[in-house]
Amino acid sequence: MNDEAKEFQTKPFRSSWMIWTNPIVRRYARSRLRFTGLGISVLLMTLVSAFVFFVARGGGVNFLNVKEDVARLPLIPLLIVQGIVLFGLGTGQVAGAMTSEAGEKQLDYQRLVPMKPLAKVLGYLFGLPVREWVLFLSSMPFTIISLVQGNVDPYYAIQLYAVFIVAGVLYHLTGLVTGTVMENRRWAFLSSMGIVFLLYTVIPQAAQFGLVYFKYLTIYPVVTDVMPHLAPRMMGRFAQQFQEIAPQAKFFGLDLEQFIVTLISQGVLCLTMIVMLWRHWCRAESHLLGKLGALGLFLWLQIVLLGNALPLIENGEIFTSREIEQRLNSRLGPVFHGWKPYIWEATLMVGFYGLVTLVFLWTMALIISPNQDTQLRGWRRARKLGDSSLPSLSDPSTSFIWVTLMSFVGVGGWYLFARGLIGSHWFAGNSLSSMTIVAMLLTLLSGGWALQAILETKGRKAAGLVAIFAGIVPAMVAVILIVSGDLMTQAVWIAGVCPALWPLFGAGAFIVDGGLPKEVASSIPPAFWVWQSIAFVVTVLLLVKLRKSRAKISKSSVNS
Amino acid sequence: MSEHAIEIRDLRVDYGEFVAVKDISLSIPFGQVYGLVGPNGAGKTSTFRVITTLMEPTYGEVKVAGFDISEHAQEAREVIGYMPDLAPVPSDLKLWEFLDFYAQAHRIGGRARRRERVEQCLDAVDLTEKRNDWAKALSRGQTQRLVLAKTLLHDPQVLILDEPASGLDPLSRRDLRLTLQGLANQGRAVFVSSHILTELAEMCSSICVMNQGKILASGSVGEVRAALGGAERKINVITLRQPQVLAQWIEDQPGVREVLAFEDQVSFQFTGSHEDQGVLLQNLVTQGFGIRSFEEGRSSFEDILVEIAGENRHS
Repeated sequence: MNDEAKEFQTKPFRSSWMIWTNPIVRRYARSRLRFTGLGISVLLMTLVSAFVFFVARGGGVNFLNVKEDVARLPLIPLLIVQGIVLFGLGTGQVAGAMTSEAGEKQLDYQRLVPMKPLAKVLGYLFGLPVREWVLFLSSMPFTIISLVQGNVDPYYAIQLYAVFIVAGVLYHLTGLVTGTVMENRRWAFLSSMGIVFLLYTVIPQAAQFGLVYFKYLTIYPVVTDVMPHLAPRMMGRFAQQFQEIAPQAKFFGLDLEQFIVTLISQGVLCLTMIVMLWRHWCRAESHLLGKLGALGLFLWLQIVLLGNALPLIENGEIFTSREIEQRLNSRLGPVFHGWKPYIWEATLMVGFYGLVTLVFLWTMALIISPNQDTQLRGWRRARKLGDSSLPSLSDPSTSFIWVTLMSFVGVGGWYLFARGLIGSHWFAGNSLSSMTIVAMLLTLLSGGWALQAILETKGRKAAGLVAIFAGIVPAMVAVILIVSGDLMTQAVWIAGVCPALWPLFGAGAFIVDGGLPKEVASSIPPAFWVWQSIAFVVTVLLLVKLRKSRAKISKSSVNS
Repeated sequence: MSEHAIEIRDLRVDYGEFVAVKDISLSIPFGQVYGLVGPNGAGKTSTFRVITTLMEPTYGEVKVAGFDISEHAQEAREVIGYMPDLAPVPSDLKLWEFLDFYAQAHRIGGRARRRERVEQCLDAVDLTEKRNDWAKALSRGQTQRLVLAKTLLHDPQVLILDEPASGLDPLSRRDLRLTLQGLANQGRAVFVSSHILTELAEMCSSICVMNQGKILASGSVGEVRAALGGAERKINVITLRQPQVLAQWIEDQPGVREVLAFEDQVSFQFTGSHEDQGVLLQNLVTQGFGIRSFEEGRSSFEDILVEIAGENRHS
């Protein structure tokens, strides 16, 4: 290198965490914060925020007498506007721009610059949505005025906005991962916004089935928690009542503040996604997670699902029926007395836990199962190095053992949940059958192994086709049969083909007297065991095929 | 520092069953412009992407300036300047901003120094006047020049340029050639691929010809031409008499094939030794064919590669 060039290369590496010096952040700050584009956006954001602010205050003057209460009214509407901008638009921008950069091969340049992979992840994380962050900040003066004039305790305001910012980072990371995986800019944009939408609409509903953890991926619990301190006093009282009947944040024996649990839940997911992106920046061909990492994440998810759910069983807070009844009582007076959960409610909750576990298992299998090309490359490399097998933790090695381990972990979690729920004092007359663990093992092992074998022998497209024909079509036929008339038994038998329904059928089969409608209750156990037997035989055949396929790849790598 | 800028040993790249690069080995010294030639699908871009750490090979060892890229990718990236084929530029940055971003990423320190380096590189590719234009507004050739400026920003020791001359006008091509030769003269290694083969032959000290993932020949342009052209050469004979009669006679001689007669000329491929060639000429004269000219040509470099590409299509 000549002297002139040496003169230019004098600066040492900066820490990855100093995002304000990150070249990628600066690059996007330069392009996305130009006066003309930003000026219009800030103007619009200010107009919307001002509109919300003044409408809320103006309306409040008519029915609230206390000045502080009026000042507090715009807080939640402003939070919604900020959420739309930061969560919705920001996430979409991140995913779309990432896909676009990859499509235009700009990322090849970025790979070559001598920045640490973590610095690149953080650069894109805070650089791509930089305008949305500025827009969020531009609405903050209205929020601050409302907080100050509303005499809101800063402790609660900080809680709310700390979680809001962490949630923003989590959703932007989701967008970054989506943008990294997907190839079409428009689809990446829509998918990532769709994920955020689902997070706030469908996924929190899992809490209704006892999986309280999913609630903590949103800002709902913290908003609920701090609402009495943010809302006008009259509304705050309603919020207080709502808060009292809502499940508290518990983690096994620990009583934690909602915002702490939310921060931990979201923080671990943030960390997981940073690891995924870090792996991608280190090596573009890498799986998003390594095999040990996937097992660790699966284990963590089981722990948090159980940790959040089990402590709520004893006092009944886990049951939706209790919440509904208490809400009605608080509105209408003491209408219902002597609440007791329904056994069918518990059966559904156990089935739903199994379903979520199976979905996690499939997700991990999708991430860590190597396709045929990856296996072949791995074998050729191993042969060249004189190895007779693939390193078990490497991407090209089979995920069989890892899917098996995760299935066992899943069965453990599922069983603990089912035993905790059905064995609780609420259901003294009910029990789990002696075949419970067998049923759970069959469900998770068949589901996990079958997908893994298809992915490793035929690839993702084949897995998608199987999902359509074995998963969606039988469920659709079953629905048609149910709505067409008195064909419930037939519908149950056909729906039993669908792997996603196996956990629900399993719960129906292994919970003695599960409180399901008579016709359903009589058909589910035989349907479950028949289809599980068939599924297990098919899965074993698929595994035999997988073994042959791997042997063939291994052999072909010797000659090629 | 390593003696070789790039050392490749037993490199293999697979895309499923397709073998893009099959066990190639190659060494490129500093101070040379080294050309990589081959038809489409020969494995050139895959080789470049592996060297630049953008792709993991199936197996093989690659060292750049002595750094093993599988273990020291970060260090290797510091010394590599890579210009991909159809190099993209962002649509939302001006020329100087584009270069300034990469100058920051390469830790060229201090705003004033960075600006100075950006201006130097813009000047080197003759884009100073357009420094405040949007990158998206550039023509194809100007885009290539801008990306070349980006490649030169951190003064890399090893330049890897995939089809850098595509889209450039003749004047820019000449400038590119001079620039690259100038960089090689300063001790850097320039590894360049091109489909403009004659130009590559003019520019490169050495070349390597790839086809279907394998290296067919490497060395100086003359050595490669001799290796690929083999002993076969084309001979043109101009006669003062009937070319058809001459063609019939030549066709019966040993080592002769593909005889063509037109106007006053007969051309054919000859695979015999130089002595055989002398005997053939002597016989032509003694047979009284009225030989006005007997000229030996060689298959041009272009012809050799066209032939290789043709063979690929038929295989």
